[in-house]
Amino acid sequence: MTEPFLQIRGLRKDYGIVTAVSDVNITVERGEFMTFLGPSGSGKSTTLYILAGFENPTAGDILLNGESLISTPSHKRNIGMVFQRYTLFPHLSVGENIAFPLKVRRWGKAAIDAKVKQMLGLVRLEGFEDRKPAQMSGGQQQRVALARALAYDPPVLLMDEPLSALDKKLREEIQHEIRRIHQETEVTILYVTHDQEEALRLSDRIAVFSKGVIDQIGTGPELYANPSNRFVASFIGDSDFVTCKIISMRDGRAALSIGSGPVIHGVPVHGKNVEGGMAALMLRPERLSLSRAAVGEGAFGLSAKVTDITFLGSNIHVAALAPSGETLSVRLPFGHEAAAGLSRGDTIFLGFDPESAHVFCG
Amino acid sequence: MATLTDPSGIAGTVKPRIVRQYNFAQTMPALVLILVFFVLPVFALLLRSVLEPQPGFGNYAELLGSTTYLKIFLNTFVVSALVTAVSLAIGFPVAWALAIMPSRLSSVVFAILLLSMWTNLLTRTYAWMVLLQRTGVINKSLMGLGLIDEPLPLVNNLVGVTIGMTYIMLPFIILPLYGVIRRIDPAILQAAALCGATRWQALTRILIPLAAPGMVSGALMVFVMSLGYFVTPALLGGTANMMLAELIAQFVQSLVNWGMGGAAALVLLVVTLTLYALQLRLFGPARMGGR
Repeated sequence: MTEPFLQIRGLRKDYGIVTAVSDVNITVERGEFMTFLGPSGSGKSTTLYILAGFENPTAGDILLNGESLISTPSHKRNIGMVFQRYTLFPHLSVGENIAFPLKVRRWGKAAIDAKVKQMLGLVRLEGFEDRKPAQMSGGQQQRVALARALAYDPPVLLMDEPLSALDKKLREEIQHEIRRIHQETEVTILYVTHDQEEALRLSDRIAVFSKGVIDQIGTGPELYANPSNRFVASFIGDSDFVTCKIISMRDGRAALSIGSGPVIHGVPVHGKNVEGGMAALMLRPERLSLSRAAVGEGAFGLSAKVTDITFLGSNIHVAALAPSGETLSVRLPFGHEAAAGLSRGDTIFLGFDPESAHVFCG
Repeated sequence: MATLTDPSGIAGTVKPRIVRQYNFAQTMPALVLILVFFVLPVFALLLRSVLEPQPGFGNYAELLGSTTYLKIFLNTFVVSALVTAVSLAIGFPVAWALAIMPSRLSSVVFAILLLSMWTNLLTRTYAWMVLLQRTGVINKSLMGLGLIDEPLPLVNNLVGVTIGMTYIMLPFIILPLYGVIRRIDPAILQAAALCGATRWQALTRILIPLAAPGMVSGALMVFVMSLGYFVTPALLGGTANMMLAELIAQFVQSLVNWGMGGAAALVLLVVTLTLYALQLRLFGPARMGGR
């Protein structure tokens, strides 16, 4: 078996008595696009800053091609990084900014000029090399920052929420650019964001951070279909949570009931055994079926009163209040027959495939 | 301007021009005050330099033609340059430390800096005299430690003047430098480090160029103030390295030669204004907006 490209092993960082991250273990393949996704303060940026060498870990190790990076100072790590804030050197032109890492590496003038030209082409900013950063838009500045970070062909590129200062339209445009550049350069990217849509759009795999630990690592579809806990389920995609009673648990499947409804068998279950106790049933809004009658297949006695109907173009969003007081949302494709004539105050009955639901205990 | 030809059209916004109403009426009393008590006396003094003892440029010829006076001019520049260089060398790290230290600590350091600025100039200069003299604390402790056998000549010479004036000038260089350094985003230096720059390269290629406007304005302020300094050179300096302000004082007070005093003052003024014009040209507001 070959040595993994980048390994983060048992990483931990304490600030006094506060633990910023602990027990972070990730293996990244060469050329992979790995995203650290989580809310602010979840430890994703701290992990990235340790990779960059700006912070020293309290414990743990980082191995690049099998060699530890921990004792190497930032300027010798040969890692590229694009920051959240604009960090182009304001007194240097665009061309000089891209040339900076090459000049400190003592490249020859001809080689530098050729590389600057190539990088400007990569980020599609040909003809901009004499501009000063202050004369460029935020999106252009981040593209130059990307060119500067990739100019010296680093094995790993770190990106710390590089698009958070940009507006939505520009953000999507540059997300496409990043995808294209990742495919063209085949550089390994570690990307930090709190935006799940951005993570899903860009990444090969996503590590979901919460409260300083990694809750789950997987591809977008894996995390969406099989979230390992309630936090991951609520952070990736939209989700409804319904309180249910666990009747039995066996082999990762639970039998449960909602309110006074019938027993539902075969729902995937996560967490410790709470047979006889209460748990949270997670349903995806687009996987719920909606019917106006209480009878028929998949009717689990989950009745609700429609509180709001929102037309969102390709789909219709129905908000409904369950007898337990929980609000559920249902997403139906535009033109779905169940939505026809539906109005506020109507009673509806919701059904679901047990395989598409998850129960989180404890 | 590049903003007009920006193909992306992003930088093409035009700021509305603020039209100032120039109305001198209310400021007349202040302007008259400045005219009567500031501008006129300066002119009167400068006028006397070409009228006394007889009309003509005799005073200037004497001032610029004599090696004694030229030596004083030269010494004034040497002391001022030395004080400026030492102030920059000490002030830059202090300003940098102030900019990155926690604000609670930096406010304490600022309080110390300002407190020293607000302490009477004579008191501070005499304090240095006490510290630096042959039997002063510094010489006594160095001899007590056995590091030297003879007291070091620290006062009534160039060393004494430089120490005393640098001490007084430091806040004037630290404050503008602090203002400039504080506006530099630390992430820019982190970016430089990841680009492969050593600390020294980050300092010389990024930090110092970005801090240059503050360094130049601080250095110029210190240099110009030093050129006209009187009290500290008079008390801590020796007769061998007299400065221009001392010469002017001597002309006016001891020799009652207003003509020569005025001529020396004009030379000082011309040098100061030239330096100021140079700074405006190199780092003035017109240069800051880029191309």
